[in-house]
Amino acid sequence: MSSLLRLNDVHFDYQGHRVLRQATFELEEGSCSALIGTNGVGKTTLLRIAAGVLRPATGHVSLRERPMETIALKEIARTVALVPQQLELPFAFTVQQVVEQGRTPYIGMLRGPGPGDRMAVDRALDLADVSSLRHRIFNELSGGERQRVKIALGLAQQPRLLLLDEPTQNLDIGRQVELIDLLHFLRDEGITILASMHDLHLVDKNFSTVLLLSPGLPLASGSPEQMLKPSILEHAFQCPPDRHPLLIERAELYRKEVR
Amino acid sequence: MAIEIATVATTHAPGVERTRRRTVPPLVLNLLLIAGLGLMTLISLGIGAVHISPRAIFAALFWHRPLSETERLILFHLRLPRVLASGVVGSALALSGLLFQGLFRNPIADPYVIGSSGGATLGASLGITFFSQWSVFGFSATALLAFAGSAATMALVYGLARSAGKTNVVTLLLAGFAISTMFTNSSYFFELFDKTGTGNRVLASWLHGVIGIPAWPELAVGAALLVLATVAALPLMRTLNTLVLGDEYAQQLGIRVELARVAIILIGSLLTAVAVSLGGVIFFAGLIVPHVARLMMGPDHVRLLPVTALTGAIFLMLADTLARTIFAPSELPVGVLMAFVGGPFFLYLLRNMKRSYSV
Repeated sequence: MSSLLRLNDVHFDYQGHRVLRQATFELEEGSCSALIGTNGVGKTTLLRIAAGVLRPATGHVSLRERPMETIALKEIARTVALVPQQLELPFAFTVQQVVEQGRTPYIGMLRGPGPGDRMAVDRALDLADVSSLRHRIFNELSGGERQRVKIALGLAQQPRLLLLDEPTQNLDIGRQVELIDLLHFLRDEGITILASMHDLHLVDKNFSTVLLLSPGLPLASGSPEQMLKPSILEHAFQCPPDRHPLLIERAELYRKEVR
Repeated sequence: MAIEIATVATTHAPGVERTRRRTVPPLVLNLLLIAGLGLMTLISLGIGAVHISPRAIFAALFWHRPLSETERLILFHLRLPRVLASGVVGSALALSGLLFQGLFRNPIADPYVIGSSGGATLGASLGITFFSQWSVFGFSATALLAFAGSAATMALVYGLARSAGKTNVVTLLLAGFAISTMFTNSSYFFELFDKTGTGNRVLASWLHGVIGIPAWPELAVGAALLVLATVAALPLMRTLNTLVLGDEYAQQLGIRVELARVAIILIGSLLTAVAVSLGGVIFFAGLIVPHVARLMMGPDHVRLLPVTALTGAIFLMLADTLARTIFAPSELPVGVLMAFVGGPFFLYLLRNMKRSYSV
């Protein structure tokens, strides 16, 4: 397994206070990782650093063993795609027109999209299962449909690494499961995945690695079994897990084991 | 709290099988618009205090059939320069509206709302009052100062609206509007400085948005700059499509956002300056035309560029012809006419806008 993305002792400050400290981890090609932590702990910041949009205050980021800051924006965009939480468009673009924007890093200023670009867009629409929506207006789609179109937009970049910022946010449980299935499908297609997640019960079985950001502490990582322990979660989220309906079972199981 | 005005309402509930609204194929639409522009030119040339039939104009243009001396004088020295000037002004305003709306991701941006025309007006007023005889490389001082004023104002408004790497759209519009109003009205001060009184009259009619009868060299410079700006804008239209996703997303896709932004602002300011130096203060054309073009062609900026330019030319030719004929023999400044047509349209847009509030 080769390393796709590596962060080494990365710090980031936002408006004078430190939002990210000592983030050190490595994503291996083909892995599927979840990034968890409280609101405002720096998950989005970490994803933006991984996408090359933000430069860390200190520390090193390398993409495929090359320092991120030495790689051209366009080349990064051909390797990493970031699917944002929100996407609001001021005009009535169709789904296809939106997804075509994913080809930007491949298209020169004067040359229009070629047959290769059209094929990549078709494939991205196909992979995200939104081919049937291609002529719909993006702003008129439901939350679940929009989420899939945003992923198609990321896939049109033909990335090796797909970063997703809370992809299951605002989705009903049926759409959440569909989305997780889509992520697994993409991982099987050879795309490395890192998604920030709030729904910890979705993290448990579906991700191979968990990265945990806790306020004031270095980033910790491990398998879901290691990281989703009640003692760790209680500390990281400042919430006793047995107070949360979705974590009670886990908390009780753990208590039995300890005994 | 940041308030973001996000979308012009399209339609309501997402139906199951809704497809894209039908748009005309781009080539057909452009050909139709070119034909329309030709027709509009003929009509505008013919209508006026002295009526000249389109047939007579055609005959004079293509078969060298002589017109009467009076007709010839009216046609080539009075009407043709004015009709062409209104076309150039219309195109320039519409294109700068398209560029600013795309760049600021906001459907109510236009040269007047954003402030670039206020700066151009101030610059041009300076030129008319103090430097009316000066020129540099064939560009009148008025035109140069209009461009400088326009670009400087854009930089100022943009700087005011930008904080922590983000552009607040509401601040941008409000700052633009305040500066635009301030600068446009400060132009009236120059009337005080004018000793002879001739600049005074030029300035006064110009501030009301009268497309005068430009000298041919002036018109040629304006038209050349319009063509230049359009050609320069062409490679940026794809970038505008990407910028619609947001500055940060565009950056993530490999676009050098700051560079693209500066280029678009410069071209938009140049277009505003062309329009202002030929036609004075004309409201709302830059706002309305891109919307009409979007209704016909969809939101893709690459396709919108020619459609917006042609529609803008037709639109202002029509407006100017109406302005000089509905109260004939008196003439209404086209700027005043546009204010009455454009105002209600602006309000309509405002009512139909979906607002999204974000904390």
